[in-house]
Amino acid sequence: MTRRREAGEAVLDAYVALFLLYMFLPLGVMVIAAFNAYPDPSVTQWHGFTLHWFEALARDGRMLAGLRNSIFAALAVVALSLPIGLAAALLLTRLQSRARGFLYALMVSPILTPGIILGISTLVFWRNFGMAGGLLLAVLAQTSFIAAYCMLIFLARLQRFDATQVEAALDLGASQGLVFRRILVPFLAPSMATAAVVAFLQSFENYNTTVFSIGGDWTLVTEIGSRFRFGLTPAVNAIGVVFVVLTVAMAILHVHLGRRRRAHG
Amino acid sequence: MREILRAFGGPLSLVIGTLVGFWLLILVAVPQVAMLDYSLWSQAANADLSAAIDRAYAEATMAEFDRRAEANPAKATELDEKLTALKRTIAELEAAQTSPPKTYGLQNYTRMSPLHAYIFVRTILSALAVAAVALVVCYPIAYAAAFAPTPRRAAILLTALLVPYAMNELLRVYAWLMIFDYRGVLNSLFAAVGLADLEARRWVPFLETQGALFTVMVSVYALFMVFPIMNTLQTLDPHQIEAARDLGASAWRIHARVVIPHAKPGIAVGVITVFMLAAGSFAVPQILSRGTGGDWFSQLVYRQFFEANNWNLGSAYAFSLLVVSLAIVFAMMRAFGVSLREITK
Repeated sequence: MTRRREAGEAVLDAYVALFLLYMFLPLGVMVIAAFNAYPDPSVTQWHGFTLHWFEALARDGRMLAGLRNSIFAALAVVALSLPIGLAAALLLTRLQSRARGFLYALMVSPILTPGIILGISTLVFWRNFGMAGGLLLAVLAQTSFIAAYCMLIFLARLQRFDATQVEAALDLGASQGLVFRRILVPFLAPSMATAAVVAFLQSFENYNTTVFSIGGDWTLVTEIGSRFRFGLTPAVNAIGVVFVVLTVAMAILHVHLGRRRRAHG
Repeated sequence: MREILRAFGGPLSLVIGTLVGFWLLILVAVPQVAMLDYSLWSQAANADLSAAIDRAYAEATMAEFDRRAEANPAKATELDEKLTALKRTIAELEAAQTSPPKTYGLQNYTRMSPLHAYIFVRTILSALAVAAVALVVCYPIAYAAAFAPTPRRAAILLTALLVPYAMNELLRVYAWLMIFDYRGVLNSLFAAVGLADLEARRWVPFLETQGALFTVMVSVYALFMVFPIMNTLQTLDPHQIEAARDLGASAWRIHARVVIPHAKPGIAVGVITVFMLAAGSFAVPQILSRGTGGDWFSQLVYRQFFEANNWNLGSAYAFSLLVVSLAIVFAMMRAFGVSLREITK
């Protein structure tokens, strides 16, 4: 019996290893090709180690402008999504009526909508007011669904909120504004940090919604996307290396923080 | 309404109402209505109109030329009148050109060519297949991650799964492009053993196969299946599995009767998410075909907007995709017996 179980576990381990290979092998190929002194992205035509493609990337004006645009758009999305998400979560926790179910469905609907549709509907709607696609429209289109993620984060935290605190404060004569500032905001502070990080990353990484609403502007990700149409150079691989390094660092940090938080109760 | 006022007071309630109203109306609902509206009308083609305008301009230039050369005052007045009439015609034609009359109807929905309808159906079916394959591939991974033997192993595995999950989608697809490309890793390996000849362009066109598209889609969206299942399995008490095993249940039976029923909400979330991502996928087909392919429906939508410049038809395509994918999502929620609240937790 135990021998069969051990065999089963060995098979599962082997399968996990295979799955991780499936996930990481392409990324490995992409990373190695970034250091190859060959004008086409390749690992099989090895012409020696070089850092040339990273230098080329650092001089790439469109990529750098795209990075600036991405950061600007992501900050704008955070600035819009956080208050909207918070307001929506507060509204939902207080609402008792049957409108609550309908509002909730409407609020999460952007999450269930394919990203390209959000970009298209924003583009079509604002054309009626003479606004063409651009960074601003991309921010509005992204906010439509990122605010829903923020709302869900706040809602989860508010479900653990002891409403009697508010009742007590109100009974003791505190104004509603004071209750909001001194009780709700401090209680929600950790969620605000989480929501801000989630909103920033969602916006920064977004492609589907952005590519349909960005018009003649570009973000880092849409610029990467447009490079595939024209000749590819290993500079794209160099960007890949930067993303891989940042992603690995974020994953390690996330798991480490999560474990520490659990260890401290 | 009264409970909101009581909890937050007048000014704060106003701010909350304004923010939520702005979001749900201006950012979410009205744009969808605008898209639906666009999909329901079309305008006459402008080709005939612009030819008529060109003709009128040519005639006016000739009349002006004649007028300048004309000495006879009677004929000159006649020409002046003709010029004024021509100018009026031009103004009318140009007004018609900038806003030709809209015809409302379902023409944009019925106009979809058989090829486009075929691609639409194939996209939806392929997206369902991607979700099904991802479920089979990812279920054991989620199980292994949820029941890792030591906390250290669990942390390492979680980190390893988070990296591809958080990694930029485009770059993950690009990494696959390097493997499947005509001069990519696979064809180079084939060439090394004599199965392909890259100089003679005698290679295996992996990029043109549905298999490559499938491999990449499952790979890119797999983690959206792993994490929801893993999260629900982490709430399953391992003693239940022990108990079933002690009572003599086979591994198969344990999964069928204990683990999978417990994981059902997670499975529902995973399947729905992967289906939605695949049905609306734009980056995967776009990058694998280097922006030239048109075998995924999202690419056809993109072309209607930015190449054919027919926003009305594009809106109809987009709305069709939205309605069909939402219908499938709700059917899946029914089939799994999960509520909207459970899948958005």
